[in-house]
This record gives sequence, structure tokens and C-alpha cells, in this order.
Amino acid sequence: MTTDFIYITLADDDEDDRLFFTDAFSELKINTKVNTFNDGVELMDYLNNSESVLPNILFLDLNMPRKNGVECLLEIKQNERFNDIAIAIYSTSSSEEHIEETFVNGANIYIKKPNDFNTLKKILAEVVTLNWQYHTSGLNKDNFLLRM
Amino acid sequence: MFKYLQLYKSTIFLKVIFVLSIAIIFFIGGITFKHITVLKNSSIWLNKSYEVNTELERLISYIKDAETGQRGYLLSKDDSYLQPYYVSKDLVKVSFDKVSRLTKNSRTQQSNLKKLLYYINKKQNYLSKSLYLIKQNKTDEIELNKNLIEGKIAMDSIRYKIEDMMIAEKNLLNGRQKAYEDTMSYTPIFIYLTLLITLFLITSAFLKMNNDLSVLKKANNVLMVSNEANNLAEIVGNFGSWQLNIENNTYIFSDNEYRLLGHLPQEFEASLESFLKFVHPEDLEFVIEKTKNMSVDNNLPPFTYRIIRKDGQIRYFRGLGRIVENASGNKTFIGTTSDVTEEIYDKKLIEDRNRELETTNKELTAFNYIASHDLQEPLRKIETFISRLVDKDFNNISETGQQYITRIQSSASRMRVLIDDLLQFSRTNKAEKVFEKTDLNSLLENARQELGQLIEDKNAVIENTDLPMLDIIPFQIQQLFVNLIGNSLKYSKENVTPLIKIKSSLIVAKDEELLPKTKDKFYKISVEDNGIGFEQEYANKIFILFNRLHNKNQFDGTGIGLAICKKIVENHKGYIFAEGHPNEGSVFTIYLPTT
Amino acid sequence: MFLNAKKNYLYLNELALMKVYLKFDYNILTKKIIQEKLSELGCKYTIAGFGEIDFLENIPDEKINDLSAKFESYGIEMVENQKSVLVQKIKDTITELVTSEEPLNVKSSVFIAEKLNHSYGYLSNLFSDVTYTSIENYIIIQKIELAKQLIINNQLSLTEIAYRLNYSSVAHLSTQFKNTTGITPSAFQRIITKRRELSSKNN
Repeated sequence: MTTDFIYITLADDDEDDRLFFTDAFSELKINTKVNTFNDGVELMDYLNNSESVLPNILFLDLNMPRKNGVECLLEIKQNERFNDIAIAIYSTSSSEEHIEETFVNGANIYIKKPNDFNTLKKILAEVVTLNWQYHTSGLNKDNFLLRM
Repeated sequence: MFKYLQLYKSTIFLKVIFVLSIAIIFFIGGITFKHITVLKNSSIWLNKSYEVNTELERLISYIKDAETGQRGYLLSKDDSYLQPYYVSKDLVKVSFDKVSRLTKNSRTQQSNLKKLLYYINKKQNYLSKSLYLIKQNKTDEIELNKNLIEGKIAMDSIRYKIEDMMIAEKNLLNGRQKAYEDTMSYTPIFIYLTLLITLFLITSAFLKMNNDLSVLKKANNVLMVSNEANNLAEIVGNFGSWQLNIENNTYIFSDNEYRLLGHLPQEFEASLESFLKFVHPEDLEFVIEKTKNMSVDNNLPPFTYRIIRKDGQIRYFRGLGRIVENASGNKTFIGTTSDVTEEIYDKKLIEDRNRELETTNKELTAFNYIASHDLQEPLRKIETFISRLVDKDFNNISETGQQYITRIQSSASRMRVLIDDLLQFSRTNKAEKVFEKTDLNSLLENARQELGQLIEDKNAVIENTDLPMLDIIPFQIQQLFVNLIGNSLKYSKENVTPLIKIKSSLIVAKDEELLPKTKDKFYKISVEDNGIGFEQEYANKIFILFNRLHNKNQFDGTGIGLAICKKIVENHKGYIFAEGHPNEGSVFTIYLPTT
Repeated sequence: MFLNAKKNYLYLNELALMKVYLKFDYNILTKKIIQEKLSELGCKYTIAGFGEIDFLENIPDEKINDLSAKFESYGIEMVENQKSVLVQKIKDTITELVTSEEPLNVKSSVFIAEKLNHSYGYLSNLFSDVTYTSIENYIIIQKIELAKQLIINNQLSLTEIAYRLNYSSVAHLSTQFKNTTGITPSAFQRIITKRRELSSKNN
């Protein structure tokens, strides 16, 4: 293993969701470092800072004030510096067209926010594990699509 | 139109016949005049010949009288016998002059006359000489005899000459008679023939005119009827018409044109100015601008304006016109004016209603979406917090409290299902419907893949015939397949392998019992299963939103799946029907239009 | 010493005017690079098996570090830890298992155990400890990854892919595909196609 921690970043304007998210990771037995942002602008400011540690997986809520998830996604996909970040959309919406559109725009993972904390934990664990497989087993990241 | 062209041609024809007939009549007149002149000349010649003959005979009788008188005097020596002899000299002269005058045109007669004169003079000489001898009483018998004999010879010569002249005159007369007869013999035929031709021409002209007249009459009748029909149409259709004679710039308004303006037919003189008086002041400039160039452009494109009727009411008119040229090249500008007030009000009303409806619809869709989408958030949090509570502190809560929490959980989960379904339904309703030419086989395959787990769990068999390519909303049709197959799987019989048969065929609407009787073509796609089926009386009910045939403890779900199917099929302007046989299975039939 | 290289089907979309899709044999590629780099260092070696090099002499540490640095730039990682070595061997076996064109007659657990000469239970526990996932799950991931490649290559039908990957039916493949990735094979194909269209439009 080259890194001791898996870096996780979440951008979500909903305080409760951020709480569930951080709680879930703190309860999982994975070495993760989680940082959260309240909206897309804050997130992009952080990412665009060259001194920032880039996350392994970035979770994006779609519905955010100022800059929404899709805008962040497109911006990140424009920048080669972010090529190694796996992007997970983390949203309430489950519209098929919506989901496909975010995948086409370069998202790797689409997570419909679950209504059960244990399910959330399970999903996040699965996402991290699969991402780990892509990271360590030489799988083609272009084909990394996961919908939970 | 063709008829009128014929009529137009026939006037040329009639003109030609008229000119021809006049020419022929002039010709016949000339010929007749010439012939009458010839006739007149002939009778003059005849008279002259007779006169010449009479005169000649008279001449010879005068000479004879002179001779007879002389002979009487020779015998009786009575002077009274000499009376005729003296008189005859003058008479002969008068006669001769007359003959000479009558025959001055004939050279033969003139030369004959000269010889005759010579013989007359000779005869008279002998007569006067013999008379002189007698009077002197020189009764020289020999000389007297010689004189008498010579007188007789001269007398004979005169007689012969006169005879010659009479014969010549007769010949002349005969010649003339002949020429006259020659002329006269072909004249009647000639006149008769030309008369016949004239008669023929006139008759044909008459027939033609008669024919034209009847065509004209018929055309007139048709015109009258169509005029009347037009009048009626104008009244019913609420429009009027006008004509502008380009040559003399005069207008004709139809009766209804006046009525549209609130006037009685032909109440005022038709003119542009009189019409413009009715135009709404705000539109006046516009109307003038529009009509300004109509006779130059030969066209008046449709335009709408307002007028103020005689009774003060404001009406919307639509004008339109163009130039019309008839067969003889006369140009008339014709136009129509229709009262479109109701139309415009109706249109405004419909537009308003449409806008209202659209707004309501949008609001409703938005409401639906917000209601279902935004309600998800707090509900999800309630559920998540409860799950946290259950995980962490369930054992610290009293038994009743635990029961309440369980109840809250099941209610919340029921609400989530409802919201999810409502959201799905409102999505099928959303405005953006992008139709794409899509292979239904691939959509069915997608649906199968989506239901893969369920199909595997139920060990179901799905058979299908080849499906068509159709212009559809791919996501929705896939959803349709998912819902229908999902429905069949859900209501399958226990312990029986679910068998779902999907069939497709091209049909014509009128051949199908359930479709409207039109010639429209549809693809009929049926989904047949061997599940628990349903009573046919519920066939329509099952498509109604949130309508369930079964107790919710028996089968879960909200009863929205088939309502979505119906919505999807309606979005495609198609039809969906259900047929159920309890304990045998059900058939869902979809009709999708081919275009 | 074991090497771990990332196996990739790459496609280049940097070309603005035309685009070509490359499919390359990772084994040959890696072997070539390894041979090249080792020759540069002037070591005596034999390539024992896939990702396994036997040095025929003692190599000083600096040289090993040097080699490690050279390999790293190609994404080749030197693995020395014994556990990791075994896990890597399990992974390689699984790759072999999955990519094999001929269907295996033995169960995969038996195949792996026999191949690596350890009890399956031991290997399974070891694997889970190191990779956070089970061998079974890893096999599925690998199979689905291969299925993805084959779907993208567009040369085989789903039925042929199912046969090739030893699935009993298309439905079975579809179900496993969907359970693993959350999307159906056809949705996957559609998304990748649209992504390519989008990137060629943007370039």
C-alpha cells in the first residue's frame, strides 16, 4: 500500500447529510480522512488550491446553492490534475435520465441517498472497496461505473 | 370559363359573317345594276331598230308618194297630183334626218345612208327633170321614157338599199338581242346562287346567334344562381365582396358588404373614400398603406383591421383581393372583406385558456415534482434518524416506545413508496418528450436486464416475437416494458413457472374491435402471462392512479405501475387495454401508432 | 520478486482530427519494458512466470532502488512483502482464470488452491485482510471488468460474452452485471458510447 489513508471529500449543503456521511465513515473500519464542504464554490476553491491534498473519492451532491454538483463535475473533468479522483454523485434524485447524464459527463459512481443509516454505511464501504480495487488491481478507470 | 371563351370566339365569327354578307349584297347589287342597265339598253336598241325600220318604210313610201303623184300628173296633168310630190321632198328630208340621227352609232347604216341619199337625190333629180320636161311640154317621148326608166332604176336602187338597211338593222338587232339574251340567261342563276350563299350565311349567322343566345341565357342563369348563392354565402359566411373597375376607377360593393358595415344594401355610393370612413381611426393609416399599391401590385395580401359600424360597434375585418382579367382582357380588381370579430375573440379566448391551461399544467407538474421530490428529503432524514435511533438506543426505550418506533418506521416506508411512485408518475408527465426512432427489441432487452434479478428469482420465461422500429420516447417505452413485465411477474401464480409472451403485429385500426374505426395503422404489442389474472370487470379500473385490486398486505405496491403505463401509451397517442381471466392469466394490449 | 502492472485497454482521445482505439497485450508490453530496463542495468535474470523475476546473482540495494524507480514510472511496482506477494499471486491466478478462453472444469476455489499450493481457507482469509474484499467478489469484479472491455470492443454479442465468461445465460450475466455495477450492460454500453461522442465533440 502506498497510502495510509483513503482521502474522502464531500460537498453537500445539507448539514444532516454531512453528519450522516461523516458518522458513517467514522463507524466504518477503514482508514479514511473525510473533509466536507457546504457547496460547490467552497469545494472548487479547495480543489483548485495546489497545496490541497486531492481526495481519492469525491462525493458531490447535485442540488447545491451557488455551484451545483453537475457544474463541479464538468469543471473537474476539464482539469487533468483531477484525473485520478473518482467522482461519486450523492443525490436524492433517482431519475434515470439524470443518472445517465451524470455518468456520461464523467461521474464514476451514482449514489441515491439511502433512507437507512446502515444502508448508507454499507454503500460507502462498498464504494470505497471497489474504488480500492480499481486503485490497486490495475482496472480500467474509464470503465468504473457504479450505481448504488 | 370555356363556354365564355367560346362566346368570345363566336363574336368574331359573327363579325366575319356580317362583313361577308355586306360584301355579297354589295356585289349582288352591282351585278343587278349592271344587268338592269343592259336590259334598259337592249330595249332602247330594240325601239331604235323599230323606229329606224318604220322611218325607212316611211321614207320609201314618201318617195313612192312623190312618184305616184308625178305619174298621176303625167297622166292627168292635174296639178293637184303634184301636191304629194312637193310635200314628199320635205317629208323625205325629215325622215332621212331622223334615220340618220337614229343610226348615227352604226357605221354600216351610215355608209348605207350615204348611198341611199345618193340614190334618193338621183331619183328626185329624175323626178324633177321629168316634171320639168312635162311642164315645158317638150314632150320628147324618148327623153321622157329614158328619164322614167332611169327614175325606175334609181327607185329600185332605193328600194334595195332600204331593204339592205332594214336587213342590217335586223341583223344589228339580232346581234344585240343575242348578246342581251346571253347576259340575261346566266344572270338569274348567278343571282340565285349568290342569294343562296347569302341566305346560307345569314342562316348560319342566325343559328350561331341563336345558339350563342341560349348559351348566354344558360350562362346567365348559372351566373344568376351563383350570384344568389354567393349572396347567401356572403350572408352565412359573414363576408362581403367588392369590385374595382381599373379603367374607370369605379367601385361596386356587394349587398353584404353594406350589411357588414351596418347599412342597407346599396345605401350609399360605393367608393374607397366612403369605405375608409368606416375604418377605425387607429387603423386608417395602416389600411391606406396596405391598399395603396394594390392596383400596381395586382394583389392585396390578407390583412386585418378594425372598422366602426354604423351603430358604433367595433368589428374586426380581414381584407384580401387580387386582379382578375377576363377573356376579352378587361381588368377588374376583386376583393373580399370578412368579419372575423368572433374568430379573433375566440382565438384570443382559446389563447388565454391555453395559456391558463399551460400554466396550470406546469404548476401541477411542478407541484407534483416538488411534492414528490422535495418531500423525499425530510422523509429520508426521518427514516435515517429513526434507523440511527434504533441502532443506538432501541434497547433504552420502553416496549411501547419501541412499538411506536416500529409503527413510525413502517408508515414512513409506506410514505416513501408512495412518494417514489408519484415521482415516477410525474416524470412520465414532464413536458420534455424527445421522440427517437428506436428498435423496440433493444428496449425490451434493456427492460429484461433491468428486471434480471426478479426474472431469475421467479425463474420466469419471457418469449417475444420480433418487435418493430418506432418513433418513440425510448426511456418511456422501456419503462412500459419494465412495468408490464414486472406486473406479470408480480402477479404470477405460486409454484407455476411464469411464462410471459410478447407478440407484435402491424394492424389497421378499423380491424380491431377496441380501436376507433379509422384507416390508421398501429403496431399491436401484447404482453400475455399465465398469472393469477383478474375479473374482466376491473379491466379499466386497474389503469387508474393508486387503484389496487388486491389488499396491500397481499401484494405490495401502490397501484401506480399500470397508471404510468397508460400515461406512457397516451404520450405516444396510443391505446392500452387489459383483459383478465381469473386464475388463467392476463393480456395487456398496447397499440402504438406507426407514425 | 513480483511485479504488478496495470492492465489497460487504452483509448486515445487527444487526437483532434481522428481517433484510434488501441488494444494491447499487457503481457508482452510489460515483458518488453522489464527486459529493456533489466538489460540497462546489466543484470543476469530469468523471467520465471508472469510478473516474477529470478535474479541469477546478488543485486546491491542501490541497484534495486534504481530499478524500482525506473519501473515506477511505468506503473510497475516491486512487491516484496510475503503476504502481498501471495495476494498478488492470487490476483494473477484469478486474472488467468478469468481471461482464459477455455472454460474451466474445476471450481475456481480448487483451481486457485491447487495452483498456489495453499488451502483455500487460508488464501481466502489472507486475501480479505489485505484487499478488503473476498476472493469470490474479486473474481466477480474481474469478470465484470472483462465483460465491460468486451462490451466496449463491440466485437462480441452479449450472448457470446456470457459464454466466454462462463455464465449459464445472458440473463445470468446481465443480473450479475447489474448487481455489481448497479446498471445494465446496455446502459453501460450506451453511457460509454455517449462519453466518447461527447469527448470527440469537445476535442
